Amino acid sequence: MKPYDIVIIGGGAAGLAALKGAYDKSLNICLIERDKTLGGILKQCIHNGFGLHHYNEELTGPEYAERGIEEVLGLNVDIFTDTTVVDVVKENGTFELMLMNTKKGEHRIKAISTIISSGCYERTRGAIQLPGDRPAGIMPAGSAQRHLNIDGYMVGKKVFILGSGDIGLIMARRMTLEGAEVLGVAELMPHSNGLTRNIVQCLHDFDIPLYLSHTISDIKGKSVLESITISEVDENFDYIEGTEKTFEVDTLLLSVGLIPDINMFDSLKFEVSKKTGGAIVDQTYQTSVEGLFACGNALHVHDLVDFVTEESTKAGQQAKAYILNNKKRSKNTLYVTPSSNISYILPQTLDMDDDFNEVVLSLRTTTNALTGKFHVYQGETLLFSEKAKFVVPAEMEKIKIKKEHLKHSGPISILFEVVSQ
Amino acid sequence: MTYDFLIIGSGISGALIARELSKYDVKTILLEKENDAANHATSANSAIIHSGYDPDPGSLKAKLNVEGNKLYDQLEKELDIPLFKNGAFMVAHDKDEEGLLERYLERAKTNGVPGVALLDQAEAKKLEPNLADSVTKVLNLPTTKVTYPWEVAIASIENAVDNGVLFEKNQTVEKIDKQDEYYVIKTAEGTTYQSRYVINAAGAYAEQIAKMVEKNVQYHITPRKGEYIVLDRRVQGFIKRTLYPTPDEKGKGVLMVPQFHGNILIGPNSELQSSLDDASTSKGGINVVKEGANRLAKNIPFHQTIRTFSGVRASSTHHDFYIKPSLEQPGFIHVAGIDSPGLTAAPAIAKYVVETLIIPQETLPINKHFNPRRQAIKLYDDMSLSERQEAFKADQRYGNLVCKCERITEGDIVRHIHRAVKGDSVKAIKKRARAGAGICQGGYCEHQIIKILAKELGKTPLEINYFAKGSNILKRETKVKS
Repeated sequence: MKPYDIVIIGGGAAGLAALKGAYDKSLNICLIERDKTLGGILKQCIHNGFGLHHYNEELTGPEYAERGIEEVLGLNVDIFTDTTVVDVVKENGTFELMLMNTKKGEHRIKAISTIISSGCYERTRGAIQLPGDRPAGIMPAGSAQRHLNIDGYMVGKKVFILGSGDIGLIMARRMTLEGAEVLGVAELMPHSNGLTRNIVQCLHDFDIPLYLSHTISDIKGKSVLESITISEVDENFDYIEGTEKTFEVDTLLLSVGLIPDINMFDSLKFEVSKKTGGAIVDQTYQTSVEGLFACGNALHVHDLVDFVTEESTKAGQQAKAYILNNKKRSKNTLYVTPSSNISYILPQTLDMDDDFNEVVLSLRTTTNALTGKFHVYQGETLLFSEKAKFVVPAEMEKIKIKKEHLKHSGPISILFEVVSQ
Repeated sequence: MTYDFLIIGSGISGALIARELSKYDVKTILLEKENDAANHATSANSAIIHSGYDPDPGSLKAKLNVEGNKLYDQLEKELDIPLFKNGAFMVAHDKDEEGLLERYLERAKTNGVPGVALLDQAEAKKLEPNLADSVTKVLNLPTTKVTYPWEVAIASIENAVDNGVLFEKNQTVEKIDKQDEYYVIKTAEGTTYQSRYVINAAGAYAEQIAKMVEKNVQYHITPRKGEYIVLDRRVQGFIKRTLYPTPDEKGKGVLMVPQFHGNILIGPNSELQSSLDDASTSKGGINVVKEGANRLAKNIPFHQTIRTFSGVRASSTHHDFYIKPSLEQPGFIHVAGIDSPGLTAAPAIAKYVVETLIIPQETLPINKHFNPRRQAIKLYDDMSLSERQEAFKADQRYGNLVCKCERITEGDIVRHIHRAVKGDSVKAIKKRARAGAGICQGGYCEHQIIKILAKELGKTPLEINYFAKGSNILKRETKVKS
């Protein structure tokens, strides 16, 4: 069987945009989606607030997904839904994907290039080693969102939420609107991890308290959840005695982080960033494995789907260019590394032989600042500085670097200076 | 109904005693208060089949440990249970601990443990490169093995059921009266049973059960909690052998135990508590476990932690296992104080109860139809290519990958739902088929598992429990469905 030129894994926002970006009449392209329909997690995000950047209008998640689906539906590509990627290997320069579905069972397809757009999964109670009993009623916020918005089931009446990630905030409002009582949201960090607009629209508007620098110090309940206790934490995240507050709840939703869902690609052994949990890529979104691209939340977790679409369209275009121009990976690599107050920068490397004028670096800080400055260095040389306002870790910052700025082959590093907090 | 034998508790001891009794032509029933078999200590322990270096020579623990270890090889064949023969190192960090290793070497030899030997640091590191640098010497214990404790218990019950034993769950024994030669056993759920013998294998609750029959119970249960960390199976190969520290007065200490499918289990700490069922974890407890582990291996990938849990050991003031007939009431047998090495000893405990305690009192006719074999249900991911193709041909549900972390298909789940000891809750499926046991801990597949359970059991998704009765995950429908 002739290999596909490009196989895209995942048909959510990222995969749809990658497909649009990669599409060319001369190319043989395939998209694989594990669910029955395209659209990914957008389908369960029935709230609005999507599309303000990309479509200049406010859409719900399913509407945003629908736009993406409509844009690719007429294209002459193979789309396999209800099909799961089990394993991917690369042999003699060709990717071999093992797929499973109920029609064909286990079967294989081949590809010259592959795009990872498989999204992310939710960090669990076990991963953050939450103490206490292990009753029913504790689940990731996204799972509760799925039960509610896709299947039409409520998971509880009295709810507490750990973590101020956006899904947690959205679910605080959603559960309230559906008749549950949300008693509070606790956040380990001294600042919220969600978008400011979600703090306002999902918590403030419903008088739901947000407990910053707090975490869960105990959970009680034998078979069903009965209560949770939160404690304030010090700068080492240790509980401060005497600050305990107990809430009688039947549901604890966790919104404690999202992690790129890329374990089905383990066999490819590409380099993974400890910070993002996703692949290390260059400015063409190519991973350390030649011909393997990554984008969307499978690469790093984004604030807004609009940015997923933007990034994934580019990743698709780069995959197309890779095939059409028959490009080979260069050895001329420049590293981009985070310095003080920066948690990560993407891409992590620059392919200096690639034909580019400028590259947009996406980065997150580790701290809040009312005003601050980004300082961009190459080696010891300060290339330039840029002022920034209202910087928060939950919102991605962008810095453009022109190729002409780059003076030699030394690594680029960026640090963030807090001017006022 | 009237029975010859009624066993209280379907943990590893009760399960294997049930199977042992099914070799005879007697009427036996096994009662469990929880919604699944093997739900407490049997589901939350170190999963090790110990070699037998530890118990005091001459104790029941020493005798049954070494016998039990050997019997597992037979159980592996008969019950088709997973047995991971990876061996173990007990590690020493200084001269004092090296002295202990020598003592345990002698004790192991006295207890009849085969193949034990001391290795120096270089020899040990060659075999286990991630051993902590502070380790100076190790005691090699090659007969130490690892199993799936709950699978052994469930397999034993399935085999027992196949051979005529009755198993009833959600039956909490509340009252036991002696009427003539029969015990009358009443449960909180309202069922009454009559039996000539009662075997008390109630784990942490053994003393409470005993008090229903005896005035002066000869032991007191002193529950000890142990907390554990589970690392994702992607750490497979980090260590090959089980690593032990030298034991102290609290027990065997914090261990690192490679599991059958690649996970590494780390723990337990050991804290006395008054509660019989408080299986909560604590930040302090987990920190003790981490510190303990860091003395065994270096650069442990704790960031790959997928779960923490704890188990309550049914330790007793008797210190040894308390496996004896009642001093007050004939026909009541205690199988109590089964803490470490209880899992290892369990097959030998079962034989001891039946052959040493019962048979001298009672002629048990042989069950001529006894079939010692139980066939495990092979998971799709463990099948060969041709087996997988055949499985899919017969059932297309094998093509629906439900749990992608552990690669478990709908075909697997359906078969584990309909086992003789039904997998009828989300956790029961996790115990049997490992669906939801991976890095996302069911975040992705739980909604699908609920739907599959509902369909197979003829229930609505609202009725599907997480584990215990009344622990349903979905509480109400938000929309009236047409």
